[in-house]
Amino acid sequence: MIIVKDLHKKFEDNHVLKGVNYHVHQGEKIVVVGPSGSGKSTFLRCLNLLETPTSGEIWFDGQKINDPKVNIDKVREHMGMVFQNFNLFNNLSIMDNITLAPVKLKLMSKEEAKEKALALLTRVGLKDKADSYPSQLSGGQKQRIAIVRSLAMNPRVMLFDEPTSALDPEMVGEVLDVMKELAKSGMTMVVVTHEMGFAREVGTKVLFMDEGIIMEENTPSEFFNHPQCQRLQDFLSKVL
Amino acid sequence: MQAWIEKIGKMFEMAFLTEDRWKLYLNGLGVTLKVALFAAILGLAIGTVVALMKLSTNRKGNKTIWARIANAYIDIIRGTPSVLQLLIMWFIIMKSCKNGVLVAVLSFGINSGAYVAEIVRAGILAVDKGQTEAGRSLGLSKAQTMIYIIIPQAIKNVLPPIGNEFIVLLKETAIVGYVSLSDLTRVANQVSSRTYEAFMPLIGAAVIYFVIIKILTILLDKLERRLRKSDNR
Repeated sequence: MIIVKDLHKKFEDNHVLKGVNYHVHQGEKIVVVGPSGSGKSTFLRCLNLLETPTSGEIWFDGQKINDPKVNIDKVREHMGMVFQNFNLFNNLSIMDNITLAPVKLKLMSKEEAKEKALALLTRVGLKDKADSYPSQLSGGQKQRIAIVRSLAMNPRVMLFDEPTSALDPEMVGEVLDVMKELAKSGMTMVVVTHEMGFAREVGTKVLFMDEGIIMEENTPSEFFNHPQCQRLQDFLSKVL
Repeated sequence: MQAWIEKIGKMFEMAFLTEDRWKLYLNGLGVTLKVALFAAILGLAIGTVVALMKLSTNRKGNKTIWARIANAYIDIIRGTPSVLQLLIMWFIIMKSCKNGVLVAVLSFGINSGAYVAEIVRAGILAVDKGQTEAGRSLGLSKAQTMIYIIIPQAIKNVLPPIGNEFIVLLKETAIVGYVSLSDLTRVANQVSSRTYEAFMPLIGAAVIYFVIIKILTILLDKLERRLRKSDNR
């Protein structure tokens, strides 16, 4: 579904990604872990071109999307993204946060979008917050709303960029529960996270990134029980 | 004491009442407000467009030709005195136009636009980058993200400095006498040269400016508070 070929990203002199190759299949839950500065967030942000690759190719559903001729806005309609800092629209109510994109992009009528939003809000237990504003919500609630906002677009894949890193510890669980439920429903997911429990439980594949490349890739049980490379063994000994 | 009060009364009469001179001030105030109001509207429109031009980037993230034009405009306007801009507009660019108010509005509007552009640009840049990223990641275009998400938040950021710019503009119009418009300042000056008594007309005009600007300040404060209420960030 997503194919990444020899992806490089440089920020001026800083060579962040040094040739990443990967293939995400439909229905997979790819969990990306690694030390900070390893390029995992940049890798994720390249998938929907929030960062423009310096070189290499990104294919989504048979289309090379980092081609200047491709309308990236159309591609992004099918790729949901959840950010570390939630990034709910501060000027809009929760309902408007969720319905803005589907309505303005003419994918749904206002009524359909509202109905869909209410159904999704009910699913994450926040139906009563529809008329609230982002500033009135806790971090965990904001992140659940952010997930709902992406889901309202009926995406084919969901990208998560450290979705629980900015949360108070007691709110991590409620967000991970929503993500687990989403995984169960069959959504294709790429998740950058430091939650090793989540990686072990939900991931179909776990990737270890360091120094701008994917150093190791394995099923969760092999990844955590029999790490191959030295860097990963060191990393796991520190975080587990 | 008695004599002193009498003298003040006489001065007041001479400055405002004789020959219905208060009407002159009123007309002068009308000219001042007319020029300031329309120049503010024009400046706001120009400033917003120029700010967006200056922020525009191409696919590679480089400055566009529009950004360069905007930069040149801001440089030229900020680099020359507004009195000179007004004179150039009156004696050179719009030489054949006899409508002083129109010339003044254009000149001040174009002048104010440069300052408003920098204010609006700062207001837009102050909105968290994550807001843009979230909008774009949902498939909204650059323009849609700007219109529905960034600009509504930027308005709250720019309100205080824009209010300040309006106040500066209102006072700046005191130079329209250079193109023979009888605004409040010029009227006060004319009356004082007529009566050989400067105190009352000049202090009187100053008080009128002060009161108008105080009212403007109160209105802007109210507006700002109302906009803040909708988001308790």
